[in-house]
Amino acid sequence: MRGLIELWGVFVSTIAGMIRGGRPKGEIVRQMHAIGNKSMLFIAVTLGFIGMVMIYQACMQFNRVTGDLSQVGVQFIRLVTSDFAPTLTGMMLATRVGAGIAAEIGSMKVTEQVDALRMSGVLPVDYLIVPRFIASVVMTVVLTTLGGAIMYVAGGLTAHYQFGVNLKIFFDLSLLNPAHLSLGLVKAVTYGAAIPVVSGFCGLRAKGSSEGVGWATTAAVIGSSLAVLLLDFILSVAGFFVLGEALR
Amino acid sequence: MIELAAVRKRFGRHAVLDGIDLQVPTGARLGIIGPAASGKSVLLKLVCGLLRPDAGQVMIDGTDITERSEEGLAATRARIGFLFQNYALFDFMTVGDNVAFPLARRGGLAEDEIARRVSARLRAVGLAGNEAKMPAELSGGMKKRVGIARATIAHPEIVIYDEPTAGLDPVTTSKVYDLLRADQETTGATVIAVSSDVEALCRFVDTVAFLYQGKIRYQGAAQTLTDAPDPVVRQFVRGDLEGPLEG
Repeated sequence: MRGLIELWGVFVSTIAGMIRGGRPKGEIVRQMHAIGNKSMLFIAVTLGFIGMVMIYQACMQFNRVTGDLSQVGVQFIRLVTSDFAPTLTGMMLATRVGAGIAAEIGSMKVTEQVDALRMSGVLPVDYLIVPRFIASVVMTVVLTTLGGAIMYVAGGLTAHYQFGVNLKIFFDLSLLNPAHLSLGLVKAVTYGAAIPVVSGFCGLRAKGSSEGVGWATTAAVIGSSLAVLLLDFILSVAGFFVLGEALR
Repeated sequence: MIELAAVRKRFGRHAVLDGIDLQVPTGARLGIIGPAASGKSVLLKLVCGLLRPDAGQVMIDGTDITERSEEGLAATRARIGFLFQNYALFDFMTVGDNVAFPLARRGGLAEDEIARRVSARLRAVGLAGNEAKMPAELSGGMKKRVGIARATIAHPEIVIYDEPTAGLDPVTTSKVYDLLRADQETTGATVIAVSSDVEALCRFVDTVAFLYQGKIRYQGAAQTLTDAPDPVVRQFVRGDLEGPLEG
């Protein structure tokens, strides 16, 4: 419970830090490169393969039951936009980016670099977490868009070449509406915000030596992944309450 | 004036500091000695608010800093230079940027002026021309000297040295203490230094406090430390194997 209160404190400090300023020059761009550009291939490959597997499985099941594959693409894009793309991207970033943030900040903590920052009048949250927070929010949206597009295309090509689905029928966007896009965007932004806060919090709690950094990294991956899953559930339920029929 | 009144600090069940009373007058040089893990570094971190005491007060020039927030402590910390035991150099910055950091954060100086002061400070610690190197390229002794340069570049009113000569050879140790003394005489700063090299430390400081089992067991002139009436202090200073010193 105390940990959750402290985590909330880090989140509030991060929001306040965005207003206060005081982050190092050029750090947001550097972090955007580290979080975004360096994760691009990882996200593209992962979501591409998941898209292919999902469509393969879906088409096989449809073939067994009705044999009508005309609705596969139409339903797939709704799911990709509102859930699969942001959540799978979030999960992937929780492992890659979350571990990196916790290891970096954790090493600084155990080598007293965080204390050295404090001695220079710097608030560690402003200096270390705020740039990563802003970069992560922006790049999670970008990577979600990219990953979702690749997932959709990879699924479409699988449906076409393996099951003979007409590409024009698969890539029909007529049932996709702003509600799906809004829910997907909200999820991407939320996960992008949660991952650096949870991971940075774990890094700042690192104690001792390399063992403490290892603990912080493991805790960051578990914590960030759980945060993504929990937020997915909360936002999905909230989305159905707020957006209602538009999502169905 | 730095004052600690009835300061207590525990980590888990272990009472590291158990009622510390200490006064350091402005401009004084105080050395803190004691066995390993006796709480010397913890005491230093309490003085600048990096740690908070469980009980008691830490006052700097009459102001209690124990209840201050991180934001509130920034002004106090701007008056303090701190050399960390393990250097704590920012490993993602060059040596020059590390030394410039306190000045750059404080603001009010042009980049040229900061660069000039950094060069002068690095020259003073015997590291001229190393501005562009990364901390990973330096030896332990060089890192220590970069740490000293960073701690003193802004001419702080209070300077805290945690093991300033650990791992240095005797000649470099003497050079470092000469530098610290010259700095202190120029700025008139209040200095608190922790060192395991008691002999070298006693040549630098005016008074010494011996920290043992969570309390200040002895405080007196550095020159008369070897003749301290307390047998525990005498055993520690002389390095005798037999005696009342525990642990």
